Amino acid sequence: MTEIIKQDTPADTIDRRQFIKGTAATMAAIGFTASSRAEAEERRRVPEAHYGQTADQTDDDVRVVHSVCLGCNARCGNRQVVRNNRLEKISGNPYHPYNSMGKPIHYDTPVESTLHLPSPVCGKAHDAVGYVYNKRRLIKPLKRCGERGEGKFQEISWDQLIREIAQGGRLFSHLGETRDVPGLESCLSDALIDPKDPKLGSKRNSFAMITGRLQSGRSEFIDRFVKSSIGSINRIGHTDICGLGFRMGNFALTEGKQVELKADPWGAEYILVFGANIYEALQPGINTYGAAVADRYAKGEVKFTIVDPRAQNAAVHSHDWVPVIPGRDGAFAMGMIRWMIENNRCNSAYLSLAHLDAAKKKGFSCYSNATHLVIDEPDHPGYGQFLRVADLQSNPTENDKTIFMVLDDDANPLPYTANETALLDREASVMAEDGKTFKVATSFALMKRAVFAHTLGEYSTFCGIPEAQIIKTARDFTSYGTKAAVCQYHGAGNYTNGTYAAFAVALLSVLVGSIGMKGGYLTGGGAVASWKNGEYDLNNFPGKKKPTGVKISREGGKYEETAEFAAKKSQGGTGYPSHRPWFSFTRGGLSVEAMSGIDEQYPYGCKVLFTYFYNPVYSTPGGYRYRETLRNSEKVPLHVSIDIGINESNLYADYIVPDVTYLEGHYGWLNPHAPALKFTGVRIPCLEPLTGRTPDNKPFCLETFLIDLALALKLPGFGDNAIAGSNDAMYPLNTAEDFYLRAYANIAQGANLPQASKEDTRFVEKNYPLARNRTMFSDQHWRQLCHMLARGGIFTGYDTGFSGETFLHGIDRVVLYNEKLAKTRSSLTGKRFSGTVQYLTPEDASGKNIAQQDQDYPFTVITYKMHVHTQSRTTWHRYAMELFPENFIQINTLDAKALGLQSGDKVRLRSVSNPAGITGKVAVTQVIRPGCVGISFHYGHSQLGASPVLVVGAKDVFLGGPEVCDKDGVTGVPALGAGTNPNLIGRLDTNMANTPLVDVLAGIPDFSSTRVKIEKSA
Amino acid sequence: MEERRTFFKRTGVLILGLTGIATLSTAVSRGSSSTVRPAMIIDVNRCTGCHSCVIACKEHNLTPEGYFNTTIITKDKGEFPNAWLTYSPELCHQCENAPCIQACGYGATFALADGIVVTDWDLCVGDGACVDACPYNARFLDPNNGNKADKCDFCVSRLQKGLAPACIDGCPSHARVFGDLSNPQGEFADYVRLLIQDQPNIFEEHKERLFHTIAKKG
Ligand code: SF4
Ligand code: SF4
Repeated sequence: MTEIIKQDTPADTIDRRQFIKGTAATMAAIGFTASSRAEAEERRRVPEAHYGQTADQTDDDVRVVHSVCLGCNARCGNRQVVRNNRLEKISGNPYHPYNSMGKPIHYDTPVESTLHLPSPVCGKAHDAVGYVYNKRRLIKPLKRCGERGEGKFQEISWDQLIREIAQGGRLFSHLGETRDVPGLESCLSDALIDPKDPKLGSKRNSFAMITGRLQSGRSEFIDRFVKSSIGSINRIGHTDICGLGFRMGNFALTEGKQVELKADPWGAEYILVFGANIYEALQPGINTYGAAVADRYAKGEVKFTIVDPRAQNAAVHSHDWVPVIPGRDGAFAMGMIRWMIENNRCNSAYLSLAHLDAAKKKGFSCYSNATHLVIDEPDHPGYGQFLRVADLQSNPTENDKTIFMVLDDDANPLPYTANETALLDREASVMAEDGKTFKVATSFALMKRAVFAHTLGEYSTFCGIPEAQIIKTARDFTSYGTKAAVCQYHGAGNYTNGTYAAFAVALLSVLVGSIGMKGGYLTGGGAVASWKNGEYDLNNFPGKKKPTGVKISREGGKYEETAEFAAKKSQGGTGYPSHRPWFSFTRGGLSVEAMSGIDEQYPYGCKVLFTYFYNPVYSTPGGYRYRETLRNSEKVPLHVSIDIGINESNLYADYIVPDVTYLEGHYGWLNPHAPALKFTGVRIPCLEPLTGRTPDNKPFCLETFLIDLALALKLPGFGDNAIAGSNDAMYPLNTAEDFYLRAYANIAQGANLPQASKEDTRFVEKNYPLARNRTMFSDQHWRQLCHMLARGGIFTGYDTGFSGETFLHGIDRVVLYNEKLAKTRSSLTGKRFSGTVQYLTPEDASGKNIAQQDQDYPFTVITYKMHVHTQSRTTWHRYAMELFPENFIQINTLDAKALGLQSGDKVRLRSVSNPAGITGKVAVTQVIRPGCVGISFHYGHSQLGASPVLVVGAKDVFLGGPEVCDKDGVTGVPALGAGTNPNLIGRLDTNMANTPLVDVLAGIPDFSSTRVKIEKSA
Repeated sequence: MEERRTFFKRTGVLILGLTGIATLSTAVSRGSSSTVRPAMIIDVNRCTGCHSCVIACKEHNLTPEGYFNTTIITKDKGEFPNAWLTYSPELCHQCENAPCIQACGYGATFALADGIVVTDWDLCVGDGACVDACPYNARFLDPNNGNKADKCDFCVSRLQKGLAPACIDGCPSHARVFGDLSNPQGEFADYVRLLIQDQPNIFEEHKERLFHTIAKKG
């Protein structure tokens, strides 16, 4: 073992030992009480067939596989128990910190000796059994045989599928469609996609692949195909609907280095939760983060306050619930900051540290730019940028242009590394060598100026929380030194202008100095080893393409460099506005703007669209708008969906390719989310794929589809001799395993794992379907790989990530003022954005306040995830649906009284964008803010089994066969469509072709601004 | 593996290769079954209401749709804005002198020597007398199995294998703690002490095997 894999200290594992000691000792005592057992067996003479409990991991007739869950994106480990090749049970992986509240068992423990140890997963994970065997799972490829979106399909052979999608042609002429459908081949051209604008890149970009639930592993595989092999820039993720707002706050804070930071649940004494649903969702999940908080709450080690319009389940243990108005988290945070500044409750000693070494000397791992000077003179060419040494000199060197400046105690400017500390809260004038003087201000002073733009009373009004509560929370937050931090997630900032709200929230942790500290605001610790380098080069291959141009979502693109800008400018204008917003300052993953770009064919048209595990019509607020887009064969000439079933979006596809679930595939290497921890879990299937097979016996799935397309089109990077090994050997990429198992071997090698013991090797060979691939490896490499596979990854515990009080894998610097943001201009107005926090309300693209525009609609809709569900795909989870067959429209008791409504009443919600509205059942509750409507986001499906679909030859196409089919196709189960989908009333932006509302700075989709009327319905 | 387990059974010793730091071994007295009193303590201050236990139980015991061996009782507390929901996991209390045993006219419901209350399905006629008698609403008649009475049995079949009950295994925050009241160990022992400290007569007043801590927030 290298030192990468440090072992846990005794202190680290003590709690868990306590628990296991109590439980396991009792198990031994009770389990081996012979007379009791005999009696039970004797007297419960129940036929096994009737009573048959599911298999246990220690039974003789089972296979056990350690892998990684994909019930949600939290990435817990799991233990899959299979009997007679049927998955029967899921529990946790005791080696994995996410199944042990951060405190796993010793990594070297022999695997078989761990099997009886209790190890939890959340409810969603158990429900894998219902998911994988869902009878409405697609197992054969489909081609539409009716009009776009009519919902008529028929099976198509694999070879024909590949040929048609590769080559295109008159694919639907038998349906009377005369158009020539472009195949993927038509995208393999280096000619410009728009001859007038070389900046947009080549025709390769007319191929786009939008990915929904994607994780590392498949993500790299898809990138190899889309970016490196085809050469398109358009592999677009879905970070935006996952939660871009809070990420943008962290993006601004860390200058784009990290977007996920959270309060350390193992070390914090006080956590301020902003829109993070810690007992019902989050990543790490309830199985980890929520569990750790609850465990420490019970022991009296941590307090937490929830800022959220809905009390959430965590309110059961919270110190306070702050029912903020939706979209106004920033006002609450800025009110807190104002009070903290006015009452000297900021950690000025920390904030005054001017550079990294100074911070380290004082026991911190990260410094802030609070003392760094910004040019504050409107007429100065560098207005809004940092003052650098060069700005004061007449003949600066190149180096002088990079060195920030601060003020010493006498307010003289000097390079930031000159002294340990510098003036924190100061505005001053400085004189350049040429004698010109101009104003400067510290980052802190600029932040303060922005915060002081409003009084505490105003912030109180903005966020709907009494001043006294703002003060109380601020006092609590500043009473724990560096053991207090915020935990912000989706709810904090998931609205237009959300970047600024989440930036203010993120700054709270910096102002108390807890960034990078044990118990503070932490990033994740990252991967244990690299997947792409080592024995196998999975990064480079001959003929690898480098995509160029601009994404169709315009993320990362600069509007000012486009032909559109130049043309508008040459006609005498400013060049602004652009047709749709451009997003040069964003974390990206803008699936919504990609869809809207496709809809508007802006900045160019899409020819071939692949969607993977992505259901925008259901999952995007206002996504119903995209039915129009997907129906239109000019906007989307060819649409191929890769998914496990027929959903609300691929109902409009031309082809649907069946995929495997994470119990049969979805290989991947899963690194930790924030906070803390360093590990790499690996996903390993326990079942052979349940989908059909190609003539050459490969399972129908994402990888087989992309590989076969690549082979058909003779694309580089796939086929024989596609992967270079060390010592010049070449290896094939003809199956999923060819790629992923080599990545696993790189990881095991990079981590310098030992050879697995005989027993651990036998465990893998006996239990894991992938053992059939062992001939890919030398004995030595196989045994090394087995050490990791047997344990489901490579793991370390919590304590190994720290040196004393500081986190070892954090970031070096955070900013109170972000220069890049300050330089960014809105592509709609040409105006610069503020470089520091600002209080802004959610606005549409024209800059108009949405709440004011929609004031005739008195209620604001908020959405949330339930503990037993994941987004759009868990109506196939049978226990979740048994426990909670439907969702409700939750309203506060006061509102219910005013409207004359009671729980169970049926109501209609109408929004300005969807006046026809949606219906659902009311639940009256105290745990939601008056004026808000809370709807969980999992129900109200019209597809995924909720409605029948016309499929020719359906009984061969669905996993359940004839049982779920009638003469017309697959039947529907109304129970799968129960409840209400809040996205169906999502606010659209009339300024932007009536597409879903997004933020013009970063492309944040809006989940908090839709307003509705509530009407009682029959 | 098989060898190891046979060894455990033969010697009655369970060895946990847990942490590499301490190897925990527990000798178990055989034969004196009446001294073992399995029980579950639920710390409501650790329960997040996540329902993982409920689903883990369903997954293991395959109870019919709509029937549960364990549930989470959710209640409203307080008024806006000082409002929250509480979660209290419930299951069979394995009562001593259980009302269900007394109510059964066929001797079908009975207690094992260690106190776990079970039902002999060969004798059960499915008249539901025990279901009505249960003060905790923990029993049901299983429509999939001739309306025989069923309920939680602390996963007796898993205990026999040296495994924790499914709900214990399933609880992410260890809100459910399982142990032997006659020989409390580890965290279970800590909780026994806590119960006595907060509810001095709890073990006298509740001759049962399911106990809840008191919520700190209230
Ligand atoms: S939180 Fe639950 S569903 Fe998500 S990864 Fe963990 S166990 Fe799986
Ligand atoms: S699994 Fe544990 S935390 Fe979740 S509801 Fe059950 S007892 Fe409570």
